Amino acid sequence: MNSDLVIKDLHVSVEEKEILKGVNLTVRAGTIHAIMGPNGSGKSTLAYTLMGHPGYTVTSGEAWYRGQNILELEPDERSKLGLFLAFQYPVAIPGVTVANFLRAAINAHRAEEGKDPKETAIPMAQFRKQLREQMTALGIDESFARRYLNEGFSGGEKKRIEILQMAMLEPSMAIMDETDSGLDIDALKIVAQGVNTLYERHPEMGVLVITHYQRLLNYIKPHFVSVLMDGRIVREGGPELALELEEKGYDFLREEVASA
Amino acid sequence: MTMKTFPPLAEISDALVIERSRAAGEPEWLTEQRVDAWRFFASAEPPYWRRTDLSKFKPEQVIAAADTAATSLYQEEDLTDQGVVFTTLAQAIHSHSDLIRRYFGTAIESKRHKFLALNAALWQDGVFLYVPKHVNVELPLTVMFSMPIPGGAIAPRNLIILDDGASVTFVEEYHSVAASDQAFATPVTEMFLGNDATLRFVAVQTWGEDVYHIGAQKVRVGRGASVEWAAVNLGARVQHIEAETALEGDGSRVEWVAATFAADHQNLLTAPWLRHIGAKTEAHMDFKTVVKDQSYTTFDGMIKIERQSRATVSRLEEHALHLSPKARSDSIPGLMIDTNDVAKAGHASTSGEVDEEQLFYMRSRGIPRDEAIHLIVMGFFEPVLDRIPNDTLRQRIAEMIEAKI
Repeated sequence: MNSDLVIKDLHVSVEEKEILKGVNLTVRAGTIHAIMGPNGSGKSTLAYTLMGHPGYTVTSGEAWYRGQNILELEPDERSKLGLFLAFQYPVAIPGVTVANFLRAAINAHRAEEGKDPKETAIPMAQFRKQLREQMTALGIDESFARRYLNEGFSGGEKKRIEILQMAMLEPSMAIMDETDSGLDIDALKIVAQGVNTLYERHPEMGVLVITHYQRLLNYIKPHFVSVLMDGRIVREGGPELALELEEKGYDFLREEVASA
Repeated sequence: MTMKTFPPLAEISDALVIERSRAAGEPEWLTEQRVDAWRFFASAEPPYWRRTDLSKFKPEQVIAAADTAATSLYQEEDLTDQGVVFTTLAQAIHSHSDLIRRYFGTAIESKRHKFLALNAALWQDGVFLYVPKHVNVELPLTVMFSMPIPGGAIAPRNLIILDDGASVTFVEEYHSVAASDQAFATPVTEMFLGNDATLRFVAVQTWGEDVYHIGAQKVRVGRGASVEWAAVNLGARVQHIEAETALEGDGSRVEWVAATFAADHQNLLTAPWLRHIGAKTEAHMDFKTVVKDQSYTTFDGMIKIERQSRATVSRLEEHALHLSPKARSDSIPGLMIDTNDVAKAGHASTSGEVDEEQLFYMRSRGIPRDEAIHLIVMGFFEPVLDRIPNDTLRQRIAEMIEAKI
């Protein structure tokens, strides 16, 4: 079964306006792949569409992962297939604690058709141990386990909780949507380390890092860099492309694309 | 268990009310109050409530309980040594007549409407709780009311008195397994807090599907005293509860939370009144409602900041979650301010369907849609569930909510 994520000619509209205008992209299993692009280029649209947000309408195209066109799956089915999205703006769920939410998510992954959910559920002691370990690794205070998910969390705390969820769910294809936005350098390092640790533990996993700035890529080293501009991938290369963009800005590419 | 009943309401006379009261050996003042209330009930028109549907309600042939078979008291420790009285009101009327007379009927006006008068006339069920000065009762005291007669009526009357510095958790539950006949409950709960007393009051209504639950609750709060009030409304065909907190003493406080979940054809109304009377009184109200199917709920609230109050702090939040497009929830919050000296008064209100962004977020973690809605609804009610003092009750309520989603 192919564990690459293969996106073919993806067109996506939001409220009748076309945002993605034919994206072709392959994120290979076992690689870290950065998508860079200026504001409004369609980066977040790509992230949300791959996860199945109902506000994004796929007008044509496919996205294949593990033998399925994921665009035909529900968001929870995509998650069970191994996809994960670290949100740029994580949502608060009042009254649901971080621990209960994570346990519900893990148990949803462990659930099997025709089996009593009680049978497949993660044993409480095992869950607590894993949660404690991961929280310690990410420098999250234990008290967060009992707090309501993302309610009153700072920007940095929310991002750490996103990485915590990723570490607990162990996806095979993780999409990081502007994970660096709103983070100071210390928080950025911790978050990046969380991603790197998971990747080292699961070298077969694919990571799609979506970012505006090169900064994050100092800490999460990509194998490949693709540039998204005006709804299309306009350039692909290695890590050196990110540095070039950092140096020259997006404008030189925009001019190149316009003259091509 | 054989139980005593009254004849159908339509056949009760003044003479019978007097006869029954005297036969029970009740003090004369009570007999007089009963017959006075009965006359009001017999002559008054049913109240007209725009948002409470009484069109299918036929009380005339209802048979009311004439003993305390519907009242069950639960306490986990013997408190007699501390001077705590926790017994049926019918019993206490003999042992604590003077104390009861001083408070009885002084919080809730029996003639406000016909059904409160019915309670004052015929009450048999109910509890009397008295906590003496500076006595702190650790474990919750619970009264549970059931519906002993299929298609019958009960009129529970609760009188709760906390002396200065006393503290207690009092739970009142109305519970029945689904009854098919129309049944009727007219509960009245009057609560009095002395200075610096603390009351944690939990009111849980989980009647079966054909019960009409029409009643009133009021707490009068003394200087420096505080109330934590948690209400859960899950059952009944029709509920019409007028609830009031009167912050009379300076520095008195209330934390008032409520969870209402209506489904099918339920019609549940809560009318909370909050009166700021003393200086530096503080209130925080947080009312949560979930509606489903064809149900209809009303939040008919009023906050009144009286002229003599000063430096009041009052915050009202009410939120409604719609699980079906045909369900309806009305919110009529009112605010009357008669003073120029308000420290803070705020109001926040939301009403709508389950948030799509929350759903998407949860589903992106593998949680199926139905389960995500479960989690969101349970989380929505969490601030109320959190205040249920006993694990078994909290578990039972959580399961009932789960089953309703």
